Amino acid sequence: MTDQTSHTRLNHEKSRKFPWLRLSVGILGAIVCCLVAASVGSVGINPTSTVLIALSRVPIIDVSQTWPESWDTILWKLRFPRVILALIVGASLSVSGATFQGLFRNPLADPYLIGVASGASLGATVVFLTGIPFSYGGISILPIASFTGALIAVSIAYGIAVRSTSTRLTTLILAGVAIGSFSTAIASLLMLKSDPDLRVVLSWIMGGFIKAQWSHSLFLIPYLLPGFIITFAYSRILNTMQLDEEYASSLGVNIERTKKILILVATMMTAAVVSFSGLIGFVGLVAPHVVRLIWHSDFRTLIPMAAIVGGCFLVIADLIARTVLSPGEIPVGIVTALCGAPFFIYLLIRNRQDTT
Amino acid sequence: MLVFWLGCSNSIPELPISAASAAPAQELTYPIITPLQPNKPAPAAPAAPAAPAAPAAPAAPAAYITVAKEESNQTKATQKPKSKPNLQNSPRLATFPVVIMDNEDNEVIFTKAPERIVAFDSAAVETIFAIGEGDRVVATHDYVSYPPKVNSIKKVGDAFNMDIEAIVNLDPDLVYIFYPTFKEQLKNAGLKVLLIPTIDDDFQKTADLFRMWGSITGAVKEANILASDFEMRVAAIQNMLSPYKSGPTVFQDVGGLWTPGNDTLIGNVFKTLKLQNVAHDVQGYTQFSPEMLIERNPQYIIASHGDSISSDNKFKNLTAVRNGAVITSDDDYLSTSGPRFILGVEGLAKTIYPGLWKR
Repeated sequence: MTDQTSHTRLNHEKSRKFPWLRLSVGILGAIVCCLVAASVGSVGINPTSTVLIALSRVPIIDVSQTWPESWDTILWKLRFPRVILALIVGASLSVSGATFQGLFRNPLADPYLIGVASGASLGATVVFLTGIPFSYGGISILPIASFTGALIAVSIAYGIAVRSTSTRLTTLILAGVAIGSFSTAIASLLMLKSDPDLRVVLSWIMGGFIKAQWSHSLFLIPYLLPGFIITFAYSRILNTMQLDEEYASSLGVNIERTKKILILVATMMTAAVVSFSGLIGFVGLVAPHVVRLIWHSDFRTLIPMAAIVGGCFLVIADLIARTVLSPGEIPVGIVTALCGAPFFIYLLIRNRQDTT
Repeated sequence: MLVFWLGCSNSIPELPISAASAAPAQELTYPIITPLQPNKPAPAAPAAPAAPAAPAAPAAPAAYITVAKEESNQTKATQKPKSKPNLQNSPRLATFPVVIMDNEDNEVIFTKAPERIVAFDSAAVETIFAIGEGDRVVATHDYVSYPPKVNSIKKVGDAFNMDIEAIVNLDPDLVYIFYPTFKEQLKNAGLKVLLIPTIDDDFQKTADLFRMWGSITGAVKEANILASDFEMRVAAIQNMLSPYKSGPTVFQDVGGLWTPGNDTLIGNVFKTLKLQNVAHDVQGYTQFSPEMLIERNPQYIIASHGDSISSDNKFKNLTAVRNGAVITSDDDYLSTSGPRFILGVEGLAKTIYPGLWKR
């Protein structure tokens, strides 16, 4: 922790200016990443056709159709919505992860720290295993159930923490862990006592974008856009909070209000994305650290760059998930852990060599 | 109980599967076995000339049913039920001892029919009831729901657990299981355990299982009739489809685009029905790529756990969706490879080939 703090302080001097250059390069990289991901898949569509099909929906440009109808469907109804959803889910998980890490001043914090994940999976498991229809009157029940589950779990944990007088954040983490174990236990019990075919539930829990639609991304924007903006607006305060809470207070920062707002925002973002993507581990933990290790831990860089890195990481991970066993798919959570963990370890080792 | 089963098979013309393209209920063109009448040649006379030559047992005994040769002078007699086509002459009871090879090629010897069977498998329970030996079943697991009589039978476990204490307490003389997790534990508890190799690759081996249960319980004749009926029905379908090279393309969604490959029981059914599984290149059950589903564009979709495809915007241009050829089914015949499995196979055949069944 002290290492990180001094690291912050040192870098703080170097980066007064907003990292415009880094950010624009990052955004450019994200666009390229999305285009590459959209042009690769289990059905081979050549890159020229991909670009033409993409352009064909742009109002002014007139492109004569030289490709089968199914390609248009595959790109516009499957790959583009999927890539975009993966991008924003990855970005949100990373921003939430960075926020929690900053807020709790704990490098191990991830977006699922205070019970969001287990609440969401309990909600989803209930829908899967009690025979409630997945969609009712055109509205899909599954995301609503997992969103509700996530919010209930976090509210309980938060309610416990708020009532205690001291060390709220520690109480919050512990309450989150307890609530998480509790709802995981109920979900497991439901699984054991239900129909033995658990593939569908388990593949949801391990996360994936196989059901991605444009409407999912549209639904998420009202949660995520304000979330990004608010978190970014608090990035200076998060920087100050890394030093010392008392010091931050003495600078006139309202610590309690900041905590409340950031916990609420990060939780809402996580709960919203989890309800569509399932539980994708590792992104929210790794992406902020990658940014810290490559650049530095000023939150004004960390928040936007973590969003970009996390988004791209998940887009690539999803690309692997849907192509590696083509025509089958594997849950993207498996890919994020399998690829993310070794890369993360590599960065840790490299960083250790740099500093010693 | 045999009558119960036959009654069940007689009700086939009431189509179990519904679909936009489903045919109205019709008479079947293949012979239905008449109820068991001891002095009358029952299954031996297939009416349709095109039907398979004999509805009889396979010439060679089923792979995992063998008879203890060294223990009996009546070897020939014990083999008779399996090798002789005229089943109506076979004795009501098998000649014991009967030896069954288990999954590890060990012999499980039955010197008499087990009286108290813990049958930890839906298909086995259904089969034992279908051959009239249901009274022997003392316990099963939570998910066995057919025939309705099993509701009053003790449940001693679920998909993952077996209550071994409760099983020991029941003092069974046979525990039949379908997965190996608890095999050693049961054996160590001094129980006679039977676990036989899975038939995932070939649904026609279902008939062999019927015969196996016949040998074990002594209801050889009933089991043979059940098995012959099964084989005859399969053969009738194969015969009907034999002039045709290949049927339509098909995709089964068991939920969340999980689908069976060719090496599964259902994949095998598709092969028999000459349906071309669009997921032919996946192993076992796999979550299928939605873009591959669009690219391969199946003519029929079988939605086993509710149709979530028709209402999905991205699949609206699929041939199957446009033609209303998404088949949903209220029954679960195809989920258990027991006596009713063939009803599921026939239901599928009727739904997809209504014209052929009209002849």
